Parts: sequence; C-alpha cells; structure tokens
Amino acid sequence: MGDHLSGLIDSHAKGTAVSFNGADVSYRELRALVADALRVLDGLPAGRPVALHVRKSPESVALVLACWAQRRPFLLPPADLGTDARAALYRQAGCGHVLHADLTTVDTGEPADEVPELDGVGPMLTTSGSTGLPKVVPLPHDGIDRFTDWAAGAFGITGGSVVFNYAPLNFDLCLLDIWTTLRRGGHVVLADQERAVDARYLLRAFTHARVEVVQAVPLFYRRLLEVADGPFPDVRELVHTGDAMPPALLARLPEFFPNARLRNVYGCTETNDSLIHDSDPTSADPVPIGRPIDGVQVRLDGGELLVRTPFQAGRYLDTAIADKWVEVDGETWLRTGDLVRQDADGVFHLDGRADYQVKVRGVRTNVQQVEQALQSHAEVADVVVLAVPDDEAGYRLHAVVRAVDGTRPNSLTLRSHCARLLPRTAVPSSLELTADEFPRTTTGKVDRKKLLAERV
Amino acid sequence: MSRIDEITRYIVAEFAPDIRADELDADYDLLDNGVVDSLGLLRLIGWLGERYDLPVDDIDLAPEQFRSVRAVDAFVESALVKGPAL
Repeated sequence: MGDHLSGLIDSHAKGTAVSFNGADVSYRELRALVADALRVLDGLPAGRPVALHVRKSPESVALVLACWAQRRPFLLPPADLGTDARAALYRQAGCGHVLHADLTTVDTGEPADEVPELDGVGPMLTTSGSTGLPKVVPLPHDGIDRFTDWAAGAFGITGGSVVFNYAPLNFDLCLLDIWTTLRRGGHVVLADQERAVDARYLLRAFTHARVEVVQAVPLFYRRLLEVADGPFPDVRELVHTGDAMPPALLARLPEFFPNARLRNVYGCTETNDSLIHDSDPTSADPVPIGRPIDGVQVRLDGGELLVRTPFQAGRYLDTAIADKWVEVDGETWLRTGDLVRQDADGVFHLDGRADYQVKVRGVRTNVQQVEQALQSHAEVADVVVLAVPDDEAGYRLHAVVRAVDGTRPNSLTLRSHCARLLPRTAVPSSLELTADEFPRTTTGKVDRKKLLAERV
Repeated sequence: MSRIDEITRYIVAEFAPDIRADELDADYDLLDNGVVDSLGLLRLIGWLGERYDLPVDDIDLAPEQFRSVRAVDAFVESALVKGPAL
C-alpha cells in the first residue's frame, strides 16, 4: 500500500486527512479507502483510461488517489454534465469503464483499440468549448508534480496544515487545496459541492477545523461573510480566484481575516495557476491579476494574454482543436482569450474577453456553445444567449429563442434538451420566446448589445 | 387546491413563467434541468418555510429533497409530521 501511494500521500502523515460534512477521515482510513478502490481498479484492463462519475467526498478523493497510484489516466468531467455529452467524452478519452464513488463500475462499451495517446497523463479535466462538447485537458504527471511543489511552498502547506477546499472535485483548483495538501500530510476540509451557496452550511464546514489556508471564488467569501459573526484569526493565506473580486467585498476581508495574506490567483485549467497578486483591500479599483509566478512566461498578442507554464497540458485531447494552443519559436503557448494591459510597474490588469466566454458561478462558459446546443433543437429557428451581469453568479445566462413557425417549444423542453448536452451552469437561468426578428448591426451580425440593453 | 398544486404553481410562477402549471409534470427533474439552480433553491426553501410554517433553519436540507415537485411535496409532508421546532 505505502509504495503505491508514495508521492500522493505523505508517507509519515498521521491524524486527520479529510473532513467532510462533520466527519473526519484519518490518513489510516483514507489509505484503507484507497485500498478498496485499488481492488476494483485491479479488476479492470491495466492502463486503460477510466471515467469517474463522482461528486466530492472522501470516497471519491480515494478513488482519484487510486487511479493516480496505478498511473492510470482518468477522466473527471463535471458531475452534472449532461448524459449525451458525457458519453461523447468517454468515447473521446477511450474510457472502458465508468466508476462511481461507491465503487460500482459500468462498462462503456467503447472499443479497447480506440484509446488515444495518453503517455504520462494522469487526470483529464474539462473546460468549456466553443463547439458543442467541453474540451478535455490531459494533465501530465510531471506538470502536476511541479505544481504541487510550487503550491506547497507558495502557501506554506506542510504536515498538519489545515486547508479549506471549496471548488468541485473536477476543478483544477483542487490541485492546490486537495492534492497538494494530501501530498504534504496536511488536513483538507471539503465543502459539499451540492451545498455551495448555503451560507449556514458553509460557515459550519469552514469552522469544523482551524483553517489556515483557503482558496475560493468570491461567491464563497460573500456567502461566508453574510453569516459569520467573528473573525477567523487562524487563516494566514486567503486566495481568491476564478472570478473578479468586487473591491467592496475585498475591503471587508481584513476584518474577518485579520492575519491573512490576501492574494488573487489567475489561471485556467489548461495551464493551471499562472499569475499572482497581493490584493490591496484599501483600493477601490478592480483587482489586478498581477505578475507571472515562478517559471511562468507571458506575452501579449494584440492585447491578448498568452501564457506558458511549467504545469500546462500543452494540448487538448482532441488535437483538432488547435486554436488556443499556439507554437511560438518552437514553444507551446496558450492563448488565454483574456485581454490585458501591463502598467508601469509590470503588473497585469484584466480588461475583458476576446471571445464569448463568461464565468457563471466561477465556471468558464461559452455562450456560443449554449447557443449551438439550443439551435440543435428541432423547434428552434434562431437563438441568442446573453450573459447578464449578476451580483451573485458573476453572470447568468438568458436565452432569447425564436421558434420554428407553427411550433411552440416551452422552457421545460428546451431546458431538458440543454441539460442533456451541457453542464448545469451552462443551462440558461431564463429562457424567453420571441416572435420578433433579432436586431442586427450594420455588418449583419446579431446586435447582442442592443438585446442585452433591452433586458438589463 | 392541493398542496402539490400549490407548490407547482409557485415553481412555475417563479422559475418557468412561460408555461402553464399543468405543463409541469410532478416528476420533472428541476435540478438537472436547471429550472431551480442553487440560488433558486434557497428562494424555494424560504418560501416553503413561510408558507407551511416549517422550521427550515433547523432542518438539515439536502438538494435531493427538492429534485421534483413530488419530492418537494414529500419533504413538506415529512417536515410537518415532525412538528414545529421547539
């Protein structure tokens, strides 16, 4: 057992490894859970990728560790991804079986001779694509090793460190708060992803142990501050990430986290953490994304930020999607799609997106992908999906649909259709049927600005 | 009006105003289909607490209990049976 897990769980770690919904799981118990998972994985074809259909729990954490221990590539799509999209990803990644957290397995029926090249790949995470399916991001083991080394040093994560994890298990953010913590023998407190906006639940989870390091999207801090009545003096590292931190919320953090260093981390699934900034809670300006972290290179192309990191995937599993990975002087860079500017001090500031991507509850979502999903419904003639700014969610999606003549689709049938094809965050919050032609710009494109202005 | 009809009407009015109450099947999956998102869930629970005088602040709630109109109705039923919080 110990050999399998070397490098994944600190070999000398004792005490609590994982807390979840009020229960503590010790390192000894976690090792036993991993052993159970390994017995099941041992019964599957060696080396063949598997898919995990799991929500966050100590059991699913153990299942990931077991895949890792076997050096078996594993696909970790969003837990709420639609069934059709899920099946398409299983096919693309060549997954022979799907595993659930209770260790039941389902044969996907995918042929064993159609497994893609996955040498050195561990987790396969997903990110929003512009065409139909999420894109699979195959993360290399050596990149993850470099990342956890960096993260442990940058945030002082060692044996006994208590780290809070807010993000769902399929997010790259977990590489910091779950996987780095376990590698260093720390204690990770998991928030239930099903109750991620329930303020009272979050306060209970957050105060279950004396959290020292916390990483989360701004929504978490907003929720926590709604119900917290005292400061959290044990927190020494507070990371906000994934979405723009409103300056008014940032300004309130020092009162609740008097001993914490506040930092903004910028990154994406493809490259992991890329830039970092010490956030100034006294500033009313948008929080900068900062400077490249050690080993990260950046360049600008027409205002768009390109990054190259020691942690990056370097490709999508579907190599036909090449638009975002570019070769410059023989090196592979990611076009982030983010428009940035650099100030006189060398600090980078975010100015907006070069494409149709927005963050919905911290999840990168491409509105064109949602439009394509709706457009594929037989009764939809035309559709525009608008990203409406929202205090809680960052953005919420509003779909304006023109039905095919003589049909009357309703929001429930269109929702069911979207839910089969998309992650839940990409299913529009509201749908509107219209008989009107969409307004057009002088170049004939749908005038999204006008449609949006009429609805905000 | 039965309780299940009342719950259906509320959900339609709040979350799917383009449809008629009789178009929402009691077993339609409100969560997977995004009719009620995580923030909407808090609104729904707040309404249930007020409408049926349930001590929702003291009950441990799981999203599964609100997956469909029928599930919501069953949740209210069991919360009423347990009686008001002391």
